[in-house]
Amino acid sequence: FPPVSFLSLHHLCLLLPSLPTDATAVRVLLSGDFKVSQAETRPGNDASDQLGAAAMEASLRAHRPAALLIFAFLSLLSVSSSAAQEIQILNAERRIDLSSQVAIVFLTLKVENTGKAAASDVLLAFPPTEAEHLAEVKAQAASGKKRKKTYAHLIVEPTDVPDAPNGAKGFRLALHNPLSPGETTTIEVLYMLTHSMEPFPAEISQSDPQLVYYRDSAYILSPYRIKQQTTFIKTPSTNVQSFSRVEPTNRAGMELKYGPYEDLPAYSYSPVLVHFENNNPFAVVEELVREVEISHWGNLQITEHYTLAHGGAKLKGVFSRVDYQSRPSASGVSSFKNLLARLPPRVHSVYYRDEIGNISSSRLRTDSRKSELEIEPRYPLFGGWKSTFIIGYGLPLEDFLFESTDGKRYLNFTFGCPLSGTVVDKLTLKVVLPEGSKDPSAVIPFPVEEHMETKYSYLDVVGRPVLVLEKKNVVPEHNIPFQVYYTFNPIFMLAEPLMLVSTVFFLFASCVAYLHIDISIRKG
Amino acid sequence: QLRLSVNAARDFTLRIQRQNRASPHSPSPPPAAAAMASKPVTAPVPITWYPTLAVFMLSIGLLITASFFIYEATSSRKTRSLPKELTTGALASFFLGFGSLFLLLASGVYV
Repeated sequence: FPPVSFLSLHHLCLLLPSLPTDATAVRVLLSGDFKVSQAETRPGNDASDQLGAAAMEASLRAHRPAALLIFAFLSLLSVSSSAAQEIQILNAERRIDLSSQVAIVFLTLKVENTGKAAASDVLLAFPPTEAEHLAEVKAQAASGKKRKKTYAHLIVEPTDVPDAPNGAKGFRLALHNPLSPGETTTIEVLYMLTHSMEPFPAEISQSDPQLVYYRDSAYILSPYRIKQQTTFIKTPSTNVQSFSRVEPTNRAGMELKYGPYEDLPAYSYSPVLVHFENNNPFAVVEELVREVEISHWGNLQITEHYTLAHGGAKLKGVFSRVDYQSRPSASGVSSFKNLLARLPPRVHSVYYRDEIGNISSSRLRTDSRKSELEIEPRYPLFGGWKSTFIIGYGLPLEDFLFESTDGKRYLNFTFGCPLSGTVVDKLTLKVVLPEGSKDPSAVIPFPVEEHMETKYSYLDVVGRPVLVLEKKNVVPEHNIPFQVYYTFNPIFMLAEPLMLVSTVFFLFASCVAYLHIDISIRKG
Repeated sequence: QLRLSVNAARDFTLRIQRQNRASPHSPSPPPAAAAMASKPVTAPVPITWYPTLAVFMLSIGLLITASFFIYEATSSRKTRSLPKELTTGALASFFLGFGSLFLLLASGVYV
């Protein structure tokens, strides 16, 4: 009974003394269609809502036996949903930053536990279109006063919200200290959306700026009731062609303000559309295959195969090199011609080539803390254009391979694409372990898909085990270290020189055998 | 309240950006492992010795190979002794094998 499970203890107690203020909200919830704008069906005004809350408190105390009976009935129906309804959000503020190709959303929630039991989780909900473009969700709980805030990182896990309408996806935040009844806490959530800005017009000429659509909701989608909420949208320039109005809406320079909206029920949603100019480079790496080859003789060799594309509005018409070079501020403003790769320090043997050969338009700057490789593809990238290339480099082994006290060795390396400011649609990271390694396992802070392969490289007999990690929708926030553990018996390192020694000895032995064998036909 | 929340948003993103900017450098070992005092794994032979070792081992190996073939050429069927041939061959192959390994490592083919 999905509609019935929406009803919580509070809603039923409100229906008992037959207060009309929330009945309309309950009716809309029962129909399960949260896409309908809630503006018309919102409860009347703040005063009647406070009255409703006070009456609810009184009715709870008065109808205790009846309340217990109803609670038992509801708990039989669906146990999990009752936990979701016992939390309400007093104040929610959402800041959406649309300055680059990745939409960065910062959500501040002031959560109150209005139920009887301590709440250990807080749920977040996302519409299904947003959920498939979600690159990263991070959360932290703030505690302390304004100046002395301390932050505790929270673990975020995707979860099934059983009564979510229209396929909304949920995420569960596990709180460090369970929230006791009546207590409030502040939670900050940061999440990033890739490919959420659609270029419109989809095709532009060389001298046009790039305009994009951003679709979102004026109301924050949440499984809880939100007492007060505001949404701010920051655009990269003041050129905003149009935006939907969900009153009260304000626009000041580069910031759009939707809100504040009072007292919205759970899963309220009101779609809005913002059409604005975004000329920041839409550098999308459609596929990246990174191979990290570990050699215990002292080197880590990394080879990266890139398929780079411009993910913005496609170029229509011809590309005029004369216009592009003579008037750079008016021509090709949304194109990009170079990218920066941040590499670890002490990198050696860096090469940048493609299928034709070496690409010489690159610069490597090293210092003791980092190396920067600035690459320029053979042509500037306009909308819809692609470029494939290979970057390879070597790193000293002692910076990345360590031995833990239980005898296992582990590689400590960064996941993610070294090119800054890019979004990777599909990243495949292959860690090639030396021949004779056993029990490989990876420790990564975010979910990836793993499987094993074998690679035959120099002087291999049985092949090298390869641990393959795959992830979709990778943003620069994923450039964090991860570890791959494996066991290796150092005696296996002798296998390679002994193979060479035995080959040469075979040559000598055949020479000796040839000289000793007598195959001539003669007497005696 | 507006300014405070703007600052909070900026602080959060700055904190995350600082973490990410720190990581492209040689990432520090994870805290748990650092507590366990993990030591870096280095090559069994210092890398700067590879070219020197390659040259010396190959030259010694080639000298012994030369002595092997001179022995083969100057001895007749009766005076030849198999153990001496095999030991010379084994010694030569040991030095040549290791020498070629170090030659491969010195030229950048990290096998």
